[in-house]
Amino acid sequence: MMAKKSNQNVLQLENLTKYFGGVPAVNDISFSIEEGKLAGLIGPNGAGKTTIFNLITGVYPPDSGKILFWGEDITYLKTYQAIGRNMARTFQNLRLFPHSTALENVMVALQQHHSYSFIEAITHLGGWGKKEREIKAKSMDILDRVGLADRANQKARTLPYGMQRRLEIARALALEPKFLFLDEPAAGMNPEEVNALNTLILGIHKELKFTILVIEHHMDLVMEICSHIICMNFGTKIAEGNPMEIQSHPEVLKAYLGE
Amino acid sequence: MSAYTEGIICVLCINAIAVMGVSLVTGYTGIFSLGHAGYMAIGAYTAAILTARYSFYFIPAIVAGGLLAALIAYIIGVPTLKLVGDYYAIASIGLGEAIRLILENGGTFTRGARGFPGIPNYTNLTVAVCSFVIMAFLMFNLINGRFGRAFKACRDDYIAASLLGYNTAKYRILSLVISGFYCGVAGALLGGFLLYIKPLMFDMMKSTELTSVVVFGGLGSMSGTLLGMVIITLITEVFRPISQYRMLIYGAILVIIMVLRPEGIMGQYEFGPGMFKAIKEKFKGDHYSEEGRKV
Amino acid sequence: MPVFNIERGESLGILIQQIINGLSLGSVYALIAVGYSLVYSILMFSNFAHGGFLVIGGYICYFVLKDMGAGILIAGFLSLLGAGAAAILTERLAYKPIREKTNNTLYLLIASMGMSIVIENIFVVTIGGRFRALPDIIPTTPIHLSGMATISAFDLISLLAAVVFLSILQLILVKTKWGLAIRAAAYNLRIASLMGVNVNLLISLTFFIAGTLASVGGIFLAVRYTLYPQLGGITIKAFVAAVIGGLGSLPGAVVGSIILGLAEMLTAGFISSQLRDLVVFFFLVITLLVRPQGLFGKDVGEKV
Repeated sequence: MMAKKSNQNVLQLENLTKYFGGVPAVNDISFSIEEGKLAGLIGPNGAGKTTIFNLITGVYPPDSGKILFWGEDITYLKTYQAIGRNMARTFQNLRLFPHSTALENVMVALQQHHSYSFIEAITHLGGWGKKEREIKAKSMDILDRVGLADRANQKARTLPYGMQRRLEIARALALEPKFLFLDEPAAGMNPEEVNALNTLILGIHKELKFTILVIEHHMDLVMEICSHIICMNFGTKIAEGNPMEIQSHPEVLKAYLGE
Repeated sequence: MSAYTEGIICVLCINAIAVMGVSLVTGYTGIFSLGHAGYMAIGAYTAAILTARYSFYFIPAIVAGGLLAALIAYIIGVPTLKLVGDYYAIASIGLGEAIRLILENGGTFTRGARGFPGIPNYTNLTVAVCSFVIMAFLMFNLINGRFGRAFKACRDDYIAASLLGYNTAKYRILSLVISGFYCGVAGALLGGFLLYIKPLMFDMMKSTELTSVVVFGGLGSMSGTLLGMVIITLITEVFRPISQYRMLIYGAILVIIMVLRPEGIMGQYEFGPGMFKAIKEKFKGDHYSEEGRKV
Repeated sequence: MPVFNIERGESLGILIQQIINGLSLGSVYALIAVGYSLVYSILMFSNFAHGGFLVIGGYICYFVLKDMGAGILIAGFLSLLGAGAAAILTERLAYKPIREKTNNTLYLLIASMGMSIVIENIFVVTIGGRFRALPDIIPTTPIHLSGMATISAFDLISLLAAVVFLSILQLILVKTKWGLAIRAAAYNLRIASLMGVNVNLLISLTFFIAGTLASVGGIFLAVRYTLYPQLGGITIKAFVAAVIGGLGSLPGAVVGSIILGLAEMLTAGFISSQLRDLVVFFFLVITLLVRPQGLFGKDVGEKV
């Protein structure tokens, strides 16, 4: 099948399976995400959604199956190697560096692509000063974009919950990824905050032209912003399609509402 | 300046270099090591053998001591990398003691448990102070930039760090190697100051002293470490007449700090313009409660 | 002393001798290692002050025997009580305030290092650091084994004592209500507390048990090596034994201790007495490289 280059599959999962103990958390999952899409991964708790993210980002290896990223087999890459392929992710339970400031959290991510040598680091010579200023400036830009510029010097763990979630996204953006994985970005948010988040994600998607895959429970968020949705339950894929198709899919309704 | 004062300053400089190394690996990178006296021993013996037996000039001898210690740190560090917390602590104790035992059983090469005398006196005031200034300059530069941030990320949440693309293993090894170098240099300087070294000087007690200074000063604050070291060294000198209480005081300080103020004197703050801004932010700026609500 | 010069008959004799020695030493290590692993299994931290309880037990025994002229049974009983009480005190003073404030076991670790130094040096400062020999209450009469080897009654007695005390511990753990509570807490402390166990009391009890076991070991070690404040330093070998067996596993601690005791004594007998300490660290390194969770330990992963 000849696909046009602009509709290339960025992410391709083939028969992915992962067992924990005797239980398949992910059971023979296959799907693909096209470049530039804003896609959603939904399903009840325990469906295996976060496990999929963990498998893709190399937190643990699958028991069988393949993961292709931009055509490259990344199935058994270690975490930092997978991230190095220009992907970034956020966490369901937030993993900010609690004692660092918001700005420092972003800088840690951003400096990956704006680096300098060890010698420059210990002598502060060469282009050190300029590069440090650049890291700081670009990090402030990103904080600004997510609306946290005035909280730059505040310790991450003292930020209100909604802002911590936004900081987590800011950190992911600072990695300058081409694919963004968001794991329940709206968890614990009130409707007003969810709306703001929607706007943010849509804005990022439009402006930076990433491919984004969102795990979410909030149906309103997913239905509103995603164009391609995959639904899982008990580790298997039970439905895939656009929001309209998913909304009326009998398996999906059964999974969420019970029999 | 009296010989006594000169001696104190030399000791301060030497200890400062060693604790900076331990601070990097324990405070900044979160690797709790209780075996760093072993690296001091390697540095001390290397420099002693090179200068006393092979008539090396002292500067290359000291550097060689540091480099050998760094190499051993690397060799030990790679396999022990995956150990966490308590396991690593026990391993580091074991390795530190192993180094000491090997030196004690080194026959005529290391002169064994009775010690190695006759080291030339290459550590005078100038050498000690210059060494300290250079090593401090390099260290503060290192932690005030991308490496410092990277080490702290590996310490605070290594999974999050690896999910930001950091090869945490690489950074932890780097931190260990640098700390090995620092302790090696400190050991080499110590040999040139005392003119005599023996393995028992570098036992678990010495390692504990180094680590407790770092804890006392604040895990994650290099200037806190130095401040803590100065305070503890001066207290030790003041209490020299009742020196048998010295270790008791050490132990008590450790316990009291952990119970009352585990973040140490300086917490995670450093001296410098950043500190004032941070303190200002804490008191004058908007106050936020733990949950992040504005109070 | 190389083994090559020894006659075949002699070397068998040495083998038996060193095996018994090794078992005896290992049994003492076991008493210490089990207490240490017990605390680890509940609180998930290495109590480096454990050696202090050992020393306290030894000194109480010494002074009761010497100054009060009492018999070994009374001295032993008071040592156990004293060491157990000291353990509870240590926990309440140093560890409880920390563990109520934070989950980070690093602070507990450092505090335990501090307590270890404090306990050791209290003795140095008050009683003095000189070596003291315990009065001869545990017989060390030699026993001849059909002309092949000579072992000491002391070895058999220490083995027996270890077996007795560990059996008592086993009975407590399996047959009593508190033993069940301890096992539950070792599995998951939070859940145990949610099920109504008084956690603070449980922890105190655990420390008491650990302290008493350590003091028994301490008494035997004091007879073997004479008594001095730094005797607690020998606990590092018991720590290594616990790691080899698997931190938190009680049977592991016993097995690790026996292995270590045998290894030490066989090395001392057949290779060299100086290398015996190195053998300990050799085993540690091998364990940590090949199977860091030890023989009976469990792999603990982190949930992302």
